[in-house]
Amino acid sequence: MEKKNQNIPGTTQKYQNGQLLTSSGIPSLDSLLGGGFPRKTFMDLILKLFLNTFAEGIAKKHSVFIASQDVNPSSIIKELPAVIENEPETDSKISKTCDGSDKMKIAFRYQNLPTVDSSTSNIKHIGHSFDLSRNMSLNDIENSEIYYWTGQRIENGFNQSINKNINGWLIQSEHHLLHCNFTPPYRDRGGPNSMGFGFSSERSKTFSNPAYNELLKSIKNKIKEGKFFLKDNPVKRSVLRIGIHSLGSPMWLPHRKSLHSINSTRDLDMFIFCLRALVRSAYAIAVITVPTHLYHEVSLDRCIHSSDIAMRLQAFSGTELENNQSLSDYQGFFYLTKLAAINSLVSRHPGSIEYAFKLRRKKFSIEVLHLPPDIQDDGKKENLPSFGCGRGNKQLLDF
Amino acid sequence: MSEVILEIEGFSGPCWVCKRTLIRSSGCVKQVALAAASPPKYHLDTLCSLSDIAVVTMISLSDPRNSNPVLSALKIKPQDKIISIRENLTADSNFILTHLIKQILYEKNRLCLVSFHNPVEHYQYVGKKLGYDLLKAVEDNVVKIVEPISDIVENIGLEENYLQEDKENLVKCFYHDIKRCLSDISTEETQTYLMVDDLSHLLDLGVDLSVIINFVNYCVNFINNDRVSVVLNSHVSSKIDEIIANNLQYIADVHIEVSPLNTGRSTDVTGFLTVERSTGKSRYHYKAFDRGDKNFPSR
Repeated sequence: MEKKNQNIPGTTQKYQNGQLLTSSGIPSLDSLLGGGFPRKTFMDLILKLFLNTFAEGIAKKHSVFIASQDVNPSSIIKELPAVIENEPETDSKISKTCDGSDKMKIAFRYQNLPTVDSSTSNIKHIGHSFDLSRNMSLNDIENSEIYYWTGQRIENGFNQSINKNINGWLIQSEHHLLHCNFTPPYRDRGGPNSMGFGFSSERSKTFSNPAYNELLKSIKNKIKEGKFFLKDNPVKRSVLRIGIHSLGSPMWLPHRKSLHSINSTRDLDMFIFCLRALVRSAYAIAVITVPTHLYHEVSLDRCIHSSDIAMRLQAFSGTELENNQSLSDYQGFFYLTKLAAINSLVSRHPGSIEYAFKLRRKKFSIEVLHLPPDIQDDGKKENLPSFGCGRGNKQLLDF
Repeated sequence: MSEVILEIEGFSGPCWVCKRTLIRSSGCVKQVALAAASPPKYHLDTLCSLSDIAVVTMISLSDPRNSNPVLSALKIKPQDKIISIRENLTADSNFILTHLIKQILYEKNRLCLVSFHNPVEHYQYVGKKLGYDLLKAVEDNVVKIVEPISDIVENIGLEENYLQEDKENLVKCFYHDIKRCLSDISTEETQTYLMVDDLSHLLDLGVDLSVIINFVNYCVNFINNDRVSVVLNSHVSSKIDEIIANNLQYIADVHIEVSPLNTGRSTDVTGFLTVERSTGKSRYHYKAFDRGDKNFPSR
């Protein structure tokens, strides 16, 4: 079983607990998580990470399942960043130049701290680097197995007209549609409460919004069909990457009930718990983004409990930190809320280190937050009156 | 005789030769371990006699109830019928459960494990690190596992069993499953433990609070049979979870609470551990290692 795991492209096995890791698509995030997402992982996150994760999946020829009710999932796929073919400059090169520079006197409590986190720098990077300024070529996307879920029906592939040229894929798409128990077209079957949207006619017994049930069903079918279950024995083992964008947004509210009722959060809790069960029993990872800023009273604590990794990004823009000089290098704070211990007693949570994220033209990265030294001359000091026996016309470097 | 290097953290126990008690509270001790079958004729630690080689195997160490830092802090006895575990917020009480399994298997007792939160695979990996083989115990009919987290996968889309509309019926079926497992493994001579890993996941399945409390009541009634004890784990993050956990705390003989540090996270200490009995309350800080946990008394 373990030997088989090593053959899956785009994954690596962790020695200590036999975990199978797959890259998140962001080198800095991978090293923070100890190499990548454990297979069968589960997390809440934001769009840029989301894009990178799926670009990585496509680069590694993993299957991808994207679901969203807010935006068309195919437009998410169109925005995927392109892979950088040449290896980026390694961190060791950068740290070498740092070592060579003149010694600077720093406060004693920081003196013995390593400049590069040694625990993370040992980790072999298994992913690609991506260029956010360019989009992934259509060719790459065409050659990948991508499944879209829009809340109305499953579409397989990027564009049906393109698909027709690729025989194998088209067969697969038909196969897929056969397996989903959908009876299209939904729009025509709506009752008085349907407002023209799907699922109203197929009431779910457990979820107050049947969309959750349908999505779970589709994911389960996809896992079954692609033979991603642990018990399955496919010829070539691969990993399924499931992405759910803006889960729990107003688009996911039950149709008949107004705004955030208790039941709507229960739906979310139940959905995430069921998805945990699904993902834990398959070679799959699920990345979910939840627009928490839209929630006031509803708490996500139970969802976090059911997830393996939970992260939160807080942007500076629009807050009082936006114009803070010392934070000008960063776009926002990155909080690692939870990093569960899987197959182990120890979580790799790095402790109370603060992280921030940077969004450059080409790259998205997560770094330890370093405040720059306060050596800027802001002009005020020159006007300060001098005390004691010092000369009035003091030069800046005089004492 | 093959040589294995073991890294032992926070180990404590008497030396076989000079009977000196060794307590390691910090740092990591590297010792040379020879095959388990060899008689204990060497000193346990090079500190006893510098010329001797230490012989240590994780499994043949002295009674884990004394030597294991977690189990010696918990001091669970057969008289403790209801053990409730509460994990607060981001803390993970899994180490308590896996250590209790170690004690149960060491005492040759029986266990019915109901797992909502982690699949069996997880317990197996952790168990191997702690020195027991859970799957082998399952084969030997010492342990029975009810695994809703795997069974649910079958129910997705079909809305049966765990995902059925009638939540009361769900809990009833679930209870009968557990009852069957308990009667399958229990014997006259041994104590049988029922361990539920995360009762609060019943809330995620849409079960009402009153039904869950009812279920707890039924579970607790198992102890009418003197040979049965229950270990109920519950996670607390919302108000409703808290009601379940408080209820468990009220009925428990031993209440164990695991919380994260109030001030954030640290690389040296993972969190707080509180063990409460009718006789008193003891508090510890704990630090999780890959081979077990270490406790420090705390005020």
